[in-house]
Amino acid sequence: MLSYQSRAALDVLIPSTPCVLSPHSQLSKMSYYFTILSPTDTPIFNIAFGTSKGGGDGIARFRFPDTAQYMNQFIIHSSLDIVEEAQWTNGGMYLKHIDTYPPATAYISAFLTPSGARFLLLHQPPQLPSSGTSGSLGSSSLLGSSASTTRASSSSVAANPTSPQTEEAIRQFMNEIYESYVKTAMSPFYKQGMEIKSPVFRTRVTAAGKKWL
Amino acid sequence: MSTQKASRIGEEIWKTRIDKVNAELVTLTYGTIVAQLCQDYDSNYQEVNKQLDKMGYNIGMRLIEDFLAKSGVGRCANFRETADMIAKVGFKIFLNVAPTVTNWTSDNNQFSLIFDDNPLADFVELPDDGRAQDELWFSNILCGVLRGALEMVQMQIEAHFVSDVLRGDDTTEMRVSLVRYIEDEMPPEDD
Amino acid sequence: MLHPDWLLDPRLDSPRDELASCFPVAFQLARTVFSLIIINKAGGLIYQREFQAGLRKLSTNDYLVLAGTFHGVHAITRSITPKLPLASNTSPAVSSPGANTPTTGYSYPNPGTPASGLESLETEKFRLTCFQTLTGTKFLLFTDPTSGTVDTVMNKVYELYADYVMKNPFYQLEMPVRCEAFDRHLGAWLRGRT
Repeated sequence: MLSYQSRAALDVLIPSTPCVLSPHSQLSKMSYYFTILSPTDTPIFNIAFGTSKGGGDGIARFRFPDTAQYMNQFIIHSSLDIVEEAQWTNGGMYLKHIDTYPPATAYISAFLTPSGARFLLLHQPPQLPSSGTSGSLGSSSLLGSSASTTRASSSSVAANPTSPQTEEAIRQFMNEIYESYVKTAMSPFYKQGMEIKSPVFRTRVTAAGKKWL
Repeated sequence: MSTQKASRIGEEIWKTRIDKVNAELVTLTYGTIVAQLCQDYDSNYQEVNKQLDKMGYNIGMRLIEDFLAKSGVGRCANFRETADMIAKVGFKIFLNVAPTVTNWTSDNNQFSLIFDDNPLADFVELPDDGRAQDELWFSNILCGVLRGALEMVQMQIEAHFVSDVLRGDDTTEMRVSLVRYIEDEMPPEDD
Repeated sequence: MLHPDWLLDPRLDSPRDELASCFPVAFQLARTVFSLIIINKAGGLIYQREFQAGLRKLSTNDYLVLAGTFHGVHAITRSITPKLPLASNTSPAVSSPGANTPTTGYSYPNPGTPASGLESLETEKFRLTCFQTLTGTKFLLFTDPTSGTVDTVMNKVYELYADYVMKNPFYQLEMPVRCEAFDRHLGAWLRGRT
């Protein structure tokens, strides 16, 4: 497990050409990477998808090449320390946007279940064609999230990862997944902490992604 | 007795005479039993089906008295009436579902129960070991319940599932066949 | 001999009505139910209980004999039930030989509605009401002959039996009933306490 302090190591891992601009990329279309961690930090579910709202095609286009998708996992796991700090700051299960990883312009939102499972959503806006400075480098935190404020010009809700609208959309998304997660966990053949292989659950997550993001 | 009348009776008893219990409790209890059986029998699903049927049989033999005491219904005139009783009164008062009775054979000795809703199977996803989907009848206990209950009222039947939405089928269907009327207790009536 | 006027006198009637309304039906019934016997479908005695203190008891053996005998008599009464000719079930128009095909009256695929067998037996001093469930279990209630129907009591006894005997997972079917909860609820209900 990567700790937050080892963030710097991540920078080394980032491929030398992070800006692979797909010809299909649209301005306001986000790419999402969603993962569920068991209470014992085992990843039990992963899925990648893209924005579907506003004409999005629902396909994820991360800034890493397809061969470097592990970056998503690195980034998302490196935010676990923040999740652990943030979980005590309020009584809610939805922790909203908790972490930003500026080098990849990756935003992470978290949701905790009372049983200790963590739902983490990484969202990454597409590379802006003109912008050389996407997000304010170096600043990543739960409290002072100044990142991405420079991107407010975009008209789409989804394009602004920290806007109240986005946070609300993610809340709905998380809640819907929480409901499906509970049902899946109630299956007599599912053991706690086991990988969720259920195709039904995957379908529901995909549907929730389509519906809210 | 018509199907409608049976439905009314079932509805009435369900509303007035039945103690309700949390559905999740039932579902999780039953699910745990099945999962445990699968584990105990080392995923020998034929054996699990058999055990479930046996458990159901023992339940049915007892439950029939409760059914008769609560419903106050008399003897059914024929097997079609029995089918309606099972579907619209029995399942209604014990599980709050009313499966559809259909697919009768021409001799009126076999029918199917189609379950639109199966409270035992809520949340359930069969193990993905590649065999459960083809071998396990998750709700097989219901077959045993019918067998036990009907045996107590002098009907020997055979019941088995032929499809289950849990397996990816479109419907959940149980096939019930009348084997014979047991007449050792009753003196011969039909000359 | 009571004069009918006495019965009709409203001044005398009203206190009785009040009394009746004060007490549940079961209370009044309780005074008229002497005892209960349950016989399993094989004719074995599985339960016997008195509901009034000080009733003279028979020996255990006598109760067993009584149960077995009653079971036999019950079966006999069923088999001697007079059978009407088939024609009486159908209209005279179709009773010609040509139309003598099996009619609905005889086409029961099951024993149909079998003859019920002995349902009540009455003497000057008591009435015995027998209720046989569809599963073959018989409930015998000994009651005061002057009291009305005992259907309510019978149904409740059956329900309690279903609840506290049949649903008791440790009760073995067809075996003598030793379920404390059944005794308790039966006694309580008959005394009108529930």
